[in-house]
Amino acid sequence: MDPAAGSGALWVGLRRRSANGEGGRGTRRVRVRCRRGPPGCRAPGTMEPAEAEFLAEKELVTIVPNFSLDRIHLIGGDLGPFNPGLPVEVPVWLAINLKQRQKCRLIPPEWMDVEKLEEIRDQERKEDTFTPMPSPYYMELTKLLLNYASDNIPKADEIRTLVKDTWDTRIAKLRLSADSFVKQQEAHAKVRWGRLERFASSVLGVFQMPCDCVGL
Amino acid sequence: MRARPRRLAGSGGGMAAAGGEGMRTEQEPDSDGGSEELVLTPAQLIRSLEQAWLNEKFAPELLESKPEIIECVVEQLDHMDANLKRAKKGDLKVSVHHMEIERIRYVLSSYLRCRLVKIEKFFPHVLEKEKSRAEGEPSILSPEEFAFAKEYMANTETYLKNVALKHMPPNLQKVSLLKSVPKPNLDSFVFLRVLERQENILVEPETDEQREYTIDLEEGSQHLIRYKTIAPLVASGAVQLI
Repeated sequence: MDPAAGSGALWVGLRRRSANGEGGRGTRRVRVRCRRGPPGCRAPGTMEPAEAEFLAEKELVTIVPNFSLDRIHLIGGDLGPFNPGLPVEVPVWLAINLKQRQKCRLIPPEWMDVEKLEEIRDQERKEDTFTPMPSPYYMELTKLLLNYASDNIPKADEIRTLVKDTWDTRIAKLRLSADSFVKQQEAHAKVRWGRLERFASSVLGVFQMPCDCVGL
Repeated sequence: MRARPRRLAGSGGGMAAAGGEGMRTEQEPDSDGGSEELVLTPAQLIRSLEQAWLNEKFAPELLESKPEIIECVVEQLDHMDANLKRAKKGDLKVSVHHMEIERIRYVLSSYLRCRLVKIEKFFPHVLEKEKSRAEGEPSILSPEEFAFAKEYMANTETYLKNVALKHMPPNLQKVSLLKSVPKPNLDSFVFLRVLERQENILVEPETDEQREYTIDLEEGSQHLIRYKTIAPLVASGAVQLI
């Protein structure tokens, strides 16, 4: 199988079998490329990385503000009060905005630590099944926090590499299990091992294609 | 039992620094004592909007329309907008509220856009389903969407007639849009997360050698299964598509 390309085009190599299970016309490799249309207009059934990031931005992260403000009553809930020097939890979208305006300092989540991530990566490589990840949005959060607040996070580059390695291993496992799912013409699969990334259904967005090909 | 979020009371004051900030929500008890209405806080309302958005995004067919959620969300956004207009400029709170409004507005418009894409894609089937709907069943189209779908159908028919059909021999001048436009593929696979435990879901066999079997869906587990099998669970809110 082709490794995950970094550029944004995703090549998924899948074998196509004819419906009666015999070789038939022989097995053919089907390559599918995810089209990159303008955001928001992809076919229903897939989630774009930007949308996964949008959902990830709702997660809470701790910041230390340098301003003071009393409680804010947002539609989605209450935040604050903000006092200089006192840590407070806010959603990532707000944390990043405040950081860009230099109004706060971000505290990395406790799982964003080199040793913990090394452990997770090694376990992921060892096991055949998926390891439970510390956050369903670990990939998006890493990208966001390291892009905007890398000065607040120690050993940012190492963390980036570790998370990318773990991601690659998981995506490879996902593709392998999807491939065997299609080949064995399964009707149902239960994800037994922790939670999958949000992006999983998008990576497997081409999933609909092989099933149609096989005439299921 | 349909959930009907109540109109949520907002505080009278605007964004004054002294008084209440923006929307204060109160959960009023149901004055008519009806058992059908469910009181939702704005946070729950936004969560249910996001759930509806994700379900609509991943489902291959057009799902039930949720006019009450949309109405309440628009009301909240308008209320907050009005508050922001009255507030003094340059305040940090104003920008935070504004950001949140933009985020909610994005989810809402993405949801509506997704529905419109599906309506345009499957318009004869959507209209047919609406026509053959029983009296008490919930509608899959809001009144505006219904008007849009009808207009789209009329325009497509006129276009086909003017561009091609009227030049055909008389016995070939009819085309059945219901037959020619592809139907939504209900057999496509979807990922889902279980919100409420379900038992004995029947999974049909894929090949002739397999037999059908039943599975139980535990709360919080994730599955990959054909949409057709779990379509009613999506409608009832027992599972969430991911």
